[in-house]
Amino acid sequence: MMASMPAAEVSPSRRRLPAGALRRRQLAASAWVYLAFLAVATIMAGTFVLAFIASLKVDPLERPFRIYFDQLNPAAWVAAARLGREGAGDALWGGLAPGANVHFSVTYAAPADARIVEPRAEIPRRRPGSGIAAALMRHYAADYASIALRSSSSATKQARDKRGIRQGWQARTFVYEITYRSDRHNGPWIERTPVNLTAPTSQTLIDSPISPSRSERRGRLLSWDNITPGALGLIFNNYRRVISETADLQTGKSLIGSWLGNSLAIATGRLVLTLVVASLAGYALARLKFRGSRLLFAAALFSMTIPAQVTFASNYLIFRDLSLLNTPWSVIVVFVASANVLLMKQFFEGFPREIEEAAIVDGANRFQVFCKIVLPNAKPALLVNAILAFQGAWNDFFWPLVLITSPPEALTIQVGLLSLRRSFGGVQGDWGLVLAGAFISIVPVVILFVLFQRHIVSTEFAKGTT
Amino acid sequence: MLFRPGALVAATMLFGLPASAEEIVRISGWGGSEVAIVNGLLTNVLAEKLAEEGIRVKYEPVDGDYSQFIINGLSAGTAPDLFYVDTFWARSVFSAGQAAPVTNDVSGFAANLLTAFTYDGKLYSTPKDFNTLAIHFNKDIFDDAGVGYPSDDDTWTTLQEKLVAVNKSLPEVDGLCVVPEYARFGAFALSTGWSPFDARGKTVLDKRFRRAFDFYTGLVKSGAAVMAADAGHSWTGGCLASERAAVAIEGAWILSALRDSAPNMNLGTVRMPKDPESSKRGNIVFSVGWTVNAASKVSKAAAKVAELLTTEEAQQWVLEQGLALPSRTSLNDNPWLRGGQPEQIASRVVLEGLSDDHVMPYFFGDVGGSWMQPINAALNSVILGEEDANTALLSAQSAFDRMLAK
Repeated sequence: MMASMPAAEVSPSRRRLPAGALRRRQLAASAWVYLAFLAVATIMAGTFVLAFIASLKVDPLERPFRIYFDQLNPAAWVAAARLGREGAGDALWGGLAPGANVHFSVTYAAPADARIVEPRAEIPRRRPGSGIAAALMRHYAADYASIALRSSSSATKQARDKRGIRQGWQARTFVYEITYRSDRHNGPWIERTPVNLTAPTSQTLIDSPISPSRSERRGRLLSWDNITPGALGLIFNNYRRVISETADLQTGKSLIGSWLGNSLAIATGRLVLTLVVASLAGYALARLKFRGSRLLFAAALFSMTIPAQVTFASNYLIFRDLSLLNTPWSVIVVFVASANVLLMKQFFEGFPREIEEAAIVDGANRFQVFCKIVLPNAKPALLVNAILAFQGAWNDFFWPLVLITSPPEALTIQVGLLSLRRSFGGVQGDWGLVLAGAFISIVPVVILFVLFQRHIVSTEFAKGTT
Repeated sequence: MLFRPGALVAATMLFGLPASAEEIVRISGWGGSEVAIVNGLLTNVLAEKLAEEGIRVKYEPVDGDYSQFIINGLSAGTAPDLFYVDTFWARSVFSAGQAAPVTNDVSGFAANLLTAFTYDGKLYSTPKDFNTLAIHFNKDIFDDAGVGYPSDDDTWTTLQEKLVAVNKSLPEVDGLCVVPEYARFGAFALSTGWSPFDARGKTVLDKRFRRAFDFYTGLVKSGAAVMAADAGHSWTGGCLASERAAVAIEGAWILSALRDSAPNMNLGTVRMPKDPESSKRGNIVFSVGWTVNAASKVSKAAAKVAELLTTEEAQQWVLEQGLALPSRTSLNDNPWLRGGQPEQIASRVVLEGLSDDHVMPYFFGDVGGSWMQPINAALNSVILGEEDANTALLSAQSAFDRMLAK
């Protein structure tokens, strides 16, 4: 028998901690676990948040990546609202309309020994170079607006030079007035008012109500794409552009709207078809005993191993001969139902056979049993199947790409995004617009998940899949 | 005023009759800057004439992989009635009997644009427009670097010296972004007098080719250039637009890209540099033609639309909008081309490229675009330092020997 050791002789690691210390250690452990979960969540959600932030930027590819810029700056929102109101009486979406009288101030600074000259200001006739905007743009602010220097004032500001030494810099503020020309008072509303300011590189812009869209000519020229954006026009400029600059040339309707509608129709169609086929076939495989049922089940299992690309040519030729190419029907019917069928089969096999037998004893035939007894109890499995079918159809890329190629308004949103990428993202480098399109494309699926998340995360899901 | 449904129906029937006789012609081309050109022609220039002919045009620009779209569509019977073909894959459409011969008078088109569109002695496409390569440069960069602008008199060597000098003076700027592609390198190879196919129809990577190859792949090592991919761009124009490079070797298509990404660039354009040994210039002609789908049910109307889209009047409008260069020789003296604006100068220089010493179309006979693969692979491996020039060119030569063995 072991003799008990005095407390003083117990090694420090095995000594019982005082209650307070134990509590602190438990709290610390909990805090570390909590922080670890938080870090994982931040990483998972963080990419999404960063992508959304980037979708608001003029240049999402800018390096280093900033998370503080005009679209996230309340001071810029207020300034954009004022400029939008002065431009077209619309603080939200801005523009330039007859009667506009916009005041736009910029402050340049330069070291004490340099002279600040008045920047040369112009409203350029900025033509979009590509895409549908190039074909649709009819009115240019340059044809209707004039710009003139209204006033200028000087001050001294504290600034750090290149060596980081603080010193007094001279600063000059120039206030420009942009007006809709009085001789064009019947002119149209114009969405964008671009402004260029050219100044020597010895002076630096230190303040303006909204930041320039880009610096060109190696810093000589600052260029604003639109100085009358309105608050929402500033924040959601890329979103506005993706809607207005992807339009059908014949009808003027937004293409992205058509793409969303097509995807919705196709996803709904596929959802309905999946539910009908999967529940009927799943029930037949689970309950009906017929010759070849095992072979059929094996074939369904085997078909899950065949990639869509293998059956692409044969399916394509069938749809061609049925004249279904370039119609939503081709994408609705070309679905692989095996997984959905097996999901339903598994559910039906778990459904108590006694209930069905009781119904049969009461005189119901097999179809009545299926419709009136089994199906109403299969809601969890049907819901899971519906959600998976909808999401699968919404995100499907391969089949819509192959089967629907024209006209442009017939595409689905996922293929439309490819079209956007090629049109704006490639050599044009207009990734803000492409990102905005991508975020619009996820809205319906997010709504679906928000509405049904209770069913997706609850044990109902387990019921459906087991 | 009272609403009279009867009158409305009568009016609709009356005015609706001619509309029902309209022939609908589906046309398509690629997206991007082309949308503005074709749509502008259809709505601003040709609307009345099309109405007189009883033709309604349904224009479907394609932003995806255009050649794939057309070839799939032709196979499936869903291709439009009138579409573009690019010179380097046109032959595959013509040889499969999927294009109807063009019967219009094409005597007004530049002769060297017609080669690639002729098959079996018949012309199958009406040249829409064309491009050649030129040196486009950012004047501000050269000013800041204190280096003289590129000029029409430059040789490969003098241009390279200028690009190295720019990089030395402004380390954040590279002279040029190179791409490992025949579509740019070819102009240098051609200037030596080398030809893609010799008299026997074989491709021989001879000493002249080797000289151009060594120059082009040596641009990076000399400090005159950087690989476009290393600068985060996919083409030489992207580097120019972002002020990362001082010059770009591109056609006039660069103008529409600059309108979006660098609308205020102080742009200059000069002709391709000469080979210092031969003192000759080389260039590649890129062209697209309007082609009538042989299976079209409205092929006559489609041919008429092609004819209208390429009339002198239509091409003059396109030219004066600064959108593309005309394929008709009569427009070479158009006053717009003599203007001093950067876009006018660039268009003029690109037009002059057509009369360089050794000009070849971007066309590789029956082999098609795959002909370029061995050269592109060799350029890539040598510029990346994966292989030396001897090894890479031996592999390329073997690939050509196999490819053209039949």
